[in-house]
Amino acid sequence: MPAAVNGPAGQAPAGERQTSAWEPLIVAFCCNWCSYAGGDLAGTGRMEYPANVKVIRVPCSSRMNPLFIMRAFQRGADGVLVAGCHPGDCHYSSGNYHVRRRLSAFKQLLEFSGLEPQRFQVHWISSSEGDKFAAVMRSMTGEIKALGPNGKLRDRRWQSIT
Amino acid sequence: MAEHHISAAAKIRAAVAQDLLSGRISLLLGWEKGHFQWQSRPLFARDGADLERLAWDSFCAVNLSRYLPEELKENEKVGVLVKGCDSRALNRLVQDRAVPRERVVAYGLPCPGMLDAGRLVEAAGGWPDEIAEANGRVVLKGGGRESEVHRDSLLLDKCRHCLYPDPVACDQLLLAPVGNREAPDRFKAVEEREQLSAGERYAYWEKELQRCLRCYACRQICPACSCRECFVEQEQPRWLGKAYDASETFLFHLIRAYHVAGRCIDCGECERSCPVGIPLQELNRKLIKDLNALYGPYEAGLDPEREPPLLTYAPNDPAAFTEK
Repeated sequence: MPAAVNGPAGQAPAGERQTSAWEPLIVAFCCNWCSYAGGDLAGTGRMEYPANVKVIRVPCSSRMNPLFIMRAFQRGADGVLVAGCHPGDCHYSSGNYHVRRRLSAFKQLLEFSGLEPQRFQVHWISSSEGDKFAAVMRSMTGEIKALGPNGKLRDRRWQSIT
Repeated sequence: MAEHHISAAAKIRAAVAQDLLSGRISLLLGWEKGHFQWQSRPLFARDGADLERLAWDSFCAVNLSRYLPEELKENEKVGVLVKGCDSRALNRLVQDRAVPRERVVAYGLPCPGMLDAGRLVEAAGGWPDEIAEANGRVVLKGGGRESEVHRDSLLLDKCRHCLYPDPVACDQLLLAPVGNREAPDRFKAVEEREQLSAGERYAYWEKELQRCLRCYACRQICPACSCRECFVEQEQPRWLGKAYDASETFLFHLIRAYHVAGRCIDCGECERSCPVGIPLQELNRKLIKDLNALYGPYEAGLDPEREPPLLTYAPNDPAAFTEK
């Protein structure tokens, strides 16, 4: 077991917990066809949302491998979000129907392992919902800020890049 | 061993001998005794001499269907002894197209439930020298002591919650059926855990998973883990690191449980084979319970025609995440 430089298990590194300037890192996996376009619309519409959110584009929300989520938490994410087309609107017809089942099961498994429900969220954001995209990013950032830094599922060798 | 078990083994031997010796099957998967009376290990019988070692007693817990995909590479037709859980494993493997059903001859063995060596030691106050069974009771002798206990109190955890002790699919039933069972407290441990706070749950799993040796026995023995290459060994990308870090262990166990979600037959082989006693069934049952609640009751391996919940969908499905 490495020396506990990062503080007790399950908690974020001491440095992060003590810094009042701590900002959460949120990884948002956005589907190419709806939510990523929704983010674009938020940008062109000059709507503001926190810079804490790092967007990763995926071809479809059903491209989500739960390992992506685990890896994000492992490497320092304080929150992970998956955004896709509204059910019924999938570019590939049925991708989000499948992922709705898969991520429902996986989200509850994450919570069963002790992760707070707010840290992993799934939202449906269409390409015309730039305002919803910004609102979801704002609300999630607020919720994660209230929770504080995440240490659960996190690799203790990993130091935040910020 | 109890009288009916000796005769049962003879009965089984007689029933499979003709198929094996005539060449209808080139391999029979069964069990044989290990070093001690409380051990029965897999037997790979290829001829009459091998068949002599075949055993059927209260320690044949190992799920033999797990060996089918590998053995079918070398054998045209394989015979396998299946208990209730093994038969559901066979159904699952057939459904996953990991095993062609027509190349398997399944001999059904209704199962009275297998015994836990740990519980035997506890009841006998030491390793017993002699284990005898009769009328639902077990007599343990050893170290000058003799104790008699109810058979049910010695059952393996996985057998306590067994719903289908009789094979649900086989070509030939070799013994008399024992009838379905009820397991009212199957999800009790999961429900209790759900009552805890997130922090308490994380602390619980961190403590339990800390013991993990990453031997992957739980994966190796699992009849639902039928991938040719597991994410654990994958090089590109390398999902699982080799360092000992709690996050790596969490990643392995959560993903292992998730990968068999909807296909797990709840046979409990993962937990039974775990050398450090991690309550893996809790993770599996959590997924079974949630999928049942969200997408309707489903028992994997019962009906090979019915699709597992994560391979299908309905447009009006509920979700476990609420839109905010």
